[in-house]
Amino acid sequence: MKKLILSLFVFVFGYQLYGQTYNTFEPSKTQFMLRGYGHTGFEYMDSNDEAESTFLGLTYAPIFLYKHSDRLMFEAELEFKLEGNELEIGLEYADVMYVLNKNITVRAGKFLLPFGTFMERLHPAWINRLPNAPLGYGHDGIAPSSGIGVELRGAFDLGGPRLNYSIYSTNGPRLNDGSEEPEEAGILQFENFEDNNLAKAYGGRIGILPFSDSSAELGFSAYSTSGTGEEDSQYEDVGAFLFALDFSYVKPISPLKGIVDIKAQYNNSNVDTATFIEVHEDGDAEEYSFDNQSNSFYAQLSYRPTMVESDFMKKLEFVGRYSDFNAPEGAEWEEASVQYAFGLNYWLSWRSVIKLSYQTTETEGGHGADGITNTDGLFIHWAIGF
Amino acid sequence: MKSIHKITVTVASILVVLITIVACTSTKEVYTPVLEKEVADSDQEFKIEKSGAQLWGEVCNRCHIAPSPSDYNDTDWETISLHMRVRANLTEKESKKIEEFLKSAN
Ligand code: HEC
Repeated sequence: MKKLILSLFVFVFGYQLYGQTYNTFEPSKTQFMLRGYGHTGFEYMDSNDEAESTFLGLTYAPIFLYKHSDRLMFEAELEFKLEGNELEIGLEYADVMYVLNKNITVRAGKFLLPFGTFMERLHPAWINRLPNAPLGYGHDGIAPSSGIGVELRGAFDLGGPRLNYSIYSTNGPRLNDGSEEPEEAGILQFENFEDNNLAKAYGGRIGILPFSDSSAELGFSAYSTSGTGEEDSQYEDVGAFLFALDFSYVKPISPLKGIVDIKAQYNNSNVDTATFIEVHEDGDAEEYSFDNQSNSFYAQLSYRPTMVESDFMKKLEFVGRYSDFNAPEGAEWEEASVQYAFGLNYWLSWRSVIKLSYQTTETEGGHGADGITNTDGLFIHWAIGF
Repeated sequence: MKSIHKITVTVASILVVLITIVACTSTKEVYTPVLEKEVADSDQEFKIEKSGAQLWGEVCNRCHIAPSPSDYNDTDWETISLHMRVRANLTEKESKKIEEFLKSAN
């Protein structure tokens, strides 16, 4: 399978490169574009006085864009990653979009979910101002990142302010019932190619840009399902409701001689209470349950002195980010973490950046761990989009 | 949770219906580009429309640093504009005006 994907990829890539290099003929209506991004770097982590450091293998994500007509388009992103000397290939998204009219576009397939803005708009390495995601996203995150289903989205011009919306239905999340991984009992898993029951997830986001200069946007997202457990299991009817609030503000400010960029998002996940089983070392089984509520928050401020004289200074960017994450009390994965991240970036071009960052994280609890863990990390990443 | 779920689904359904009605009844179905000159000339036009260049500066910096017109050729800009219109949920007018500007200035 991997070989097939790779050879297909080499073929498409080679053909495309040829086409893009020798493209002197008239543009055609259909158009294929190969894009993507990657990053590499070095990381040093010091966790409760245990230090480790590593060079990162390059992560490479090719993106295929195919514009069939002015209304119909296809997008797909693969991700190639070296994980323990093994090549891992992931399908980030693959969907078709069709512009029905000026206010409605339909998307279908696997798409990034507009649950807040981080995963849909800000996570690619060349867009994210820091080398990693805030707490609460990614592998152990509580926010869904993509879904398989259909979506309507679009925007309305309110004569100055603008309103945009998205409404979707996707395969629902799956509740980890702890039968295989008892330490993860109660966690929602969102990566579902096949749904495990008939209950689908419904959700959407509404965004408002109150000012005509597009500087600010406020968003509210919701995601809801009436069942997350395996069909015919006692967890079948365990429902979940998630919501997110997001904020963005980007504006050049003359007295500050630069562009100020603020991003923030709050996520809240509320899963119906269910009973799980904990097996002790002596073989005794005990039932337990907890109030399954998690939340996470981040706020990021960055500043680029774009209006100063010096060409070197113009390319610099200063970033600060606060994030926290709280997993339910009583769960095996109970956790309360707080992270501060600081960054200094040097922009080589609009989509290539060298990021230097220092982060300090305090974690209380977390997957099977007790007590408080302090982790300091130093990151140097180079991200490039193309 | 059951009632929250029902409310969410009901609200979502109502929104779908509303959006469809609004979108289908709005009179100007297709956006027709207005030349900058025409806008300046017409007396009735009390609100000065933003130029594609200005919109490009405001809109395309919201998530990432805006690319310059010279970064891509016309065909690529058409693909990118459609991609960004959908991904960033831009209005048709915004995205068409910016596309015209990018294609005229590259
Ligand atoms: C709401 C956020 C947002 C806004 C506003 C936005 N972009 Fe993007 N842009 C993205 C994201 C996210 C990607 C990466 C897509 C991916 O890799 O999946 C991207 C990618 C791109 C790319 C790479 C090619 C491609 O199509 O993926 C170009 C070029 C680009 N944007 C240009 C623009 C222009 C021009 C504008 C102004 C009209 C704009 N963007 C506005 C979020 C945005």
